[in-house]
Amino acid sequence: MSERKERCTASCIQRAGARQVNPATLLALAAPLALMGCAGDKSILDPAGQVAREVALIWWVMLSFATVVFVSVVSLWLYALLRKHREHTPTQERRIVRYWIVGGGLLLPGLTICALLAFGVPTGKRVLPVPLDNAPVVIEVVGHQWWWEVRYPNAEGEAVVTANQIVMPAGEPVDFHVTAADVIHSFWIPRLGGKIDMLPGRTNRIRLDADAPGRLLAQSAEFSGVGYAHMTFPVEVLPREEFDAWLAARQPEAIEALTATADAATLASFEESCARCHRVAGLSTGDTGPDLSDIGARATLGGGVLTMEEGAIAHWLEHHQTLKPGNKMPPHDDMDAATLEALGSWLETLTP
Amino acid sequence: MTTLNRQATPQDPDHLKGLHDDLQEVWGNPRGIRALTIVNHTTVGLRFMVTGMVFFLIGGILAMLIRTQIAMPDQNFMNPDIYNQVTTMHGTVMMFLFAIPMLEGLAIYMIPKMIGGRDLVCPRLSALGYFCYLFGGTILTFSIVLEMAPNSGWFMYTPLSSSEYSPGLGSDFWLLGITFVEISAVSAGVELVVSILRTRTQGMALHKMPIFAWYILAMALMIVVGFPPLILGSILLELERAVGMPFFDVAGGGDPLLWQHLFWLFGHPEVYIIFLPAAGVVSTLIPVFAGRPLVGYGWVVFAITVMGFISFGLWVHHMFTVGIPQLAQAFFSAASMLVAIPTAIQVFVWLATLWVGKPRFELPMLWIVGFLVIFVCGGLTGVMLALVPFNWQVHDTHFVVAHMHYVLVGGMLFPLMAGLYYWLPLFSGRMPSETIGKWGFWLVFIGFNVTFLIMHWTGLLGMPRRIYTYDTGMGWDIFNLISSIGGFVMSAGFAVVVIDLLLHFRYGKPAKENPWRADTLEWANSLPPSPYNFVSLPKIETRHPLWDDPDLPRTIREGKHRLAVASHGRRELWGSDPLTGKLREVIHLPGNSWWPFCAALALAVVCVSLLIRWYPLAGIAVIVAGVFLLRWSWENGAHPRAAPDARVQEGDPPLHSRTLDGPGLWTMTTTMIANGAFFLSFLFGWFYLWTVSPEWSMPDTSPLSLFAMLAVGLLFAVGCTAMETCVHRLRQRNDLGLRLRLLVAALLGAVASMVLLWLILSADLAITETAHDAVLMVGLVYALFHVSLAALLSLLQALRVGYGYVSAEAPFEPVVVAYFWRYSVLMLWVLVGALAILPRVIGG
Amino acid sequence: MKRLLARLHLTHPGHFVSGLTIWGTWFVAVYGGLSVACAVVPPDPGLGALTSINASLLIVSAITAACLVALSLGCFAAAREHVGRQHFNALVSAWLYAFSAVAVVFVALPIIGVPPCL
Repeated sequence: MSERKERCTASCIQRAGARQVNPATLLALAAPLALMGCAGDKSILDPAGQVAREVALIWWVMLSFATVVFVSVVSLWLYALLRKHREHTPTQERRIVRYWIVGGGLLLPGLTICALLAFGVPTGKRVLPVPLDNAPVVIEVVGHQWWWEVRYPNAEGEAVVTANQIVMPAGEPVDFHVTAADVIHSFWIPRLGGKIDMLPGRTNRIRLDADAPGRLLAQSAEFSGVGYAHMTFPVEVLPREEFDAWLAARQPEAIEALTATADAATLASFEESCARCHRVAGLSTGDTGPDLSDIGARATLGGGVLTMEEGAIAHWLEHHQTLKPGNKMPPHDDMDAATLEALGSWLETLTP
Repeated sequence: MTTLNRQATPQDPDHLKGLHDDLQEVWGNPRGIRALTIVNHTTVGLRFMVTGMVFFLIGGILAMLIRTQIAMPDQNFMNPDIYNQVTTMHGTVMMFLFAIPMLEGLAIYMIPKMIGGRDLVCPRLSALGYFCYLFGGTILTFSIVLEMAPNSGWFMYTPLSSSEYSPGLGSDFWLLGITFVEISAVSAGVELVVSILRTRTQGMALHKMPIFAWYILAMALMIVVGFPPLILGSILLELERAVGMPFFDVAGGGDPLLWQHLFWLFGHPEVYIIFLPAAGVVSTLIPVFAGRPLVGYGWVVFAITVMGFISFGLWVHHMFTVGIPQLAQAFFSAASMLVAIPTAIQVFVWLATLWVGKPRFELPMLWIVGFLVIFVCGGLTGVMLALVPFNWQVHDTHFVVAHMHYVLVGGMLFPLMAGLYYWLPLFSGRMPSETIGKWGFWLVFIGFNVTFLIMHWTGLLGMPRRIYTYDTGMGWDIFNLISSIGGFVMSAGFAVVVIDLLLHFRYGKPAKENPWRADTLEWANSLPPSPYNFVSLPKIETRHPLWDDPDLPRTIREGKHRLAVASHGRRELWGSDPLTGKLREVIHLPGNSWWPFCAALALAVVCVSLLIRWYPLAGIAVIVAGVFLLRWSWENGAHPRAAPDARVQEGDPPLHSRTLDGPGLWTMTTTMIANGAFFLSFLFGWFYLWTVSPEWSMPDTSPLSLFAMLAVGLLFAVGCTAMETCVHRLRQRNDLGLRLRLLVAALLGAVASMVLLWLILSADLAITETAHDAVLMVGLVYALFHVSLAALLSLLQALRVGYGYVSAEAPFEPVVVAYFWRYSVLMLWVLVGALAILPRVIGG
Repeated sequence: MKRLLARLHLTHPGHFVSGLTIWGTWFVAVYGGLSVACAVVPPDPGLGALTSINASLLIVSAITAACLVALSLGCFAAAREHVGRQHFNALVSAWLYAFSAVAVVFVALPIIGVPPCL
């Protein structure tokens, strides 16, 4: 935590300095606040991509300017209230009044919003999915109550499907095409930028890029009911080659081969209890719950609720309604612990 | 009540006492169960405010539950469903059951006193509004006790609030309860507009009104235009839930975004509807405590007007993340930034007033300074949020929660508290306590800032709003804990304020006349005021009547001004010219009555029976409510109970029921503005779905028979012409054949409604399958309602001619009814064009 | 022009609302026009902001702003000719027209640089 704080303070200052935006003011304002910690896996002030970086910069500039305005207006008011009364002639009075109203009421806000518009519109334009020479990677994300379906469309063949995780290449723009299957959700990777709503019946597009490989978190910010607090999932940013390899390992032939290791009893209970809702490539085609084809390779379970480790899936299967209340998977009271464990350890082998 | 011209003279104390007794007899409030019949604005205003305070306390308790749940990570104080109910209800209660009714209550109480009137122009409507608010609010709050409260967030986004994803009764409670409460808001809005424009005392020209009246005028007009979109939205969503008409369902050709548009078309102006009256309080108090007139009165009028309009052009800034084209977002972003200008003008007008004045620092000023600090901060984050890329990042995070509370608590609650303390002597006749009051202020002020200043940061760290739990390790823990502690400090502050107010009514020091040395007319009332406010109505030609004539309270009390007579048994006040304040007529108001209470009760039965889906009862209750309302209207105008005789004192203008331009016409006009806003929202919905709904399908041939539609339009237009002839001839004081013409109009209207009904039944609309047919159905039913109501009203007019209530001497009512016809005929033809002709011309 | 302005009774407080009503109508027309145009004839995204949609929106905005400026000047002139109530009404209306004109220009600025339908 403390390391993070230092990094953030340093980076905030560095950023401000590099952009030549009144470093002194910024430093004075940013330092105490930054010391309180502007890092965090979902902090928009700890940007990891171009769009988020520009917004963070805008924030610091706006904050400094707002602080100046706030302090001046409040001090003027307090001064006006507390100062000794002076008599003015009507002409003097009129001049004072005109001065305040034109200066403070018209010029100050007028110039401010002009500056703001000049700042804001170009930043917004950079996120637009305008056609590029090299078509960017497209990732389709579908919001469900309360999990995420993620698809990598492929011009030639079947799309690669996964759930509750996004893997994306570093250092290049990625287009996200987002929609929802039931209610409205929203797609947001705070450290990269965004957000954009996921609406049933519509597809929205947003272009984001990540600076460097690493782990980020994504989050829905549109209230979606009981499981809303758990609408979160990890984003893995990989170097381009690793990303290609990751994608290749999930092509149909490769991924379907994974199911070969299952024993008959486990397969039978999977068929009976899971297959209707969950897809495992080459085994089942259910589509009301998350795709499980590569579940063993994911970093978390239940969309960020549980860290993936040995035995985690069995634990999840047993306690999912307390771990993520209201989720739509029925409780497994009717299945004994041994079956759940067998299912869990088998699913953990689905690691491309 | 024998002599008509018993004129009081100060030399004659007996006469003066007699005059007070007469006024008391005519205006006095009954006690016991009959207190439910009171229609007086002072009582109704106080009832609104006290009820609003109760809902505020309920909302505050809900807020504390929220802050307890998220004070620390991974807490199990509430389960997510209960938490969702609590957050939804906190927002709903505070916005709909506290903020709006509270401010309306203040306006209802204050406006007649400030403009030299004795009551609002439709006193029974105020009473109806109050009971609708009370019943609607109670029904809605009761859902918390049943653990069935709405749980899809206070803006009820579909499809989450649809029957599929919210199967319980929660959403129904919200939709029906809120619609019910909104009837109250709109009716108060309508009568405030008309009262301000038409019942100012003699000589008070538009530019001499107290500035508070300008703010309330703007607020009331905004309510009239701004609430109908939400009423429409709520009706459509309730129809979708109860009947299955797919307005917001993609599969059926609807669009969930339509709800968002309708909601925010209301929701954004709502913020300014709340802010404007509060700013009006600030603009009223600052001159008083600066001891000089507000500088830049014209600038403030300018700022109010700009705010009132621009606030309707901002609604999409709540929807910057829904994926509309960036250019369109830029329009709304720029418009949102423009609001900074009128806000800044007001802040600097207040500053300049203090600068050139001699400020006194008393308790109300403390709250005003608190307002300024918080509101400026909220305003600045508001400008930040108008910037689209920044908005994308912080939208729906705690940053927005913090901003919104800074604007609403700072912009509404603090001025309101200042106003309450300032006007306390008027409410109770006693002065507020300085010490306890200050404790209350500082606890609230510090608690508020501790809670919400840090919350901006929590939001920037990525905490979304409305989550009931969060993992430790996001860096949010400490900030949430601080916020929660601040929240409880603020609650303690409000507890102190409440205790202070309660003690005040018992132990407060009695107030002397005009205790704050104020300039406006409400302080010319006795403390506390009598139900008739003023014994005599003065001529006012200045913005600061009590500064220019400190003797005014005495001369008013002694009946030295006009209309100082009540022996005729009428409740009277001036009807004046909206621009110049010249006298036009004497308005006589209806007295206490059971009808508002009974009608509201019947409407409450409608609401509850719709809620429990017992439709036969709902049908009966609708009819009962309709009968009550018509019976109520029957006793108006020249009905002997409303105005026993038409004689007025020498030199006074005629009674309004004997003229052609009474306040009823203005009320009808304003109501039709609200109605028009409703209709425009409907048209917006129709064209919106038509152009952008993803699965919309336009049938190849329209299911509506063009011939029948045109026939309805023509029949009704001819009926309207008959009404116009009536009005034309009445203007020439000619009532020959009046009854026949009214009957012809009624007949044509009745035939038109029959044809329309046949059209609806024969069109065979698949209302549960396609949004197209569902929208058509709503449009046709809306038309049918108007056509048949117009016919019914004309029929009643014909009956009244027979009774002698309507004639060349009392020509007032047909003019009002004709206005309704005019609106309906216009609406009908637009509807024919939009629903039947345009689809044939353009096609799918 | 003078006669036209004279017939508008620029000292009537109705002009308090007409300027911003024009602004509002313009706003709805531009927003609605853009939405309909994007639904019916979306231009090639490669064109950027140089589309006929942007051009027509700009023309409409320029005309609206010009009208508002003219009305504002007319009101200022009327304010000079009157005193008291009518002076007040004309002056407030003049500033409101001026504000509406500025609002049209300000809100229309993004049309110059932002592609219409993305």
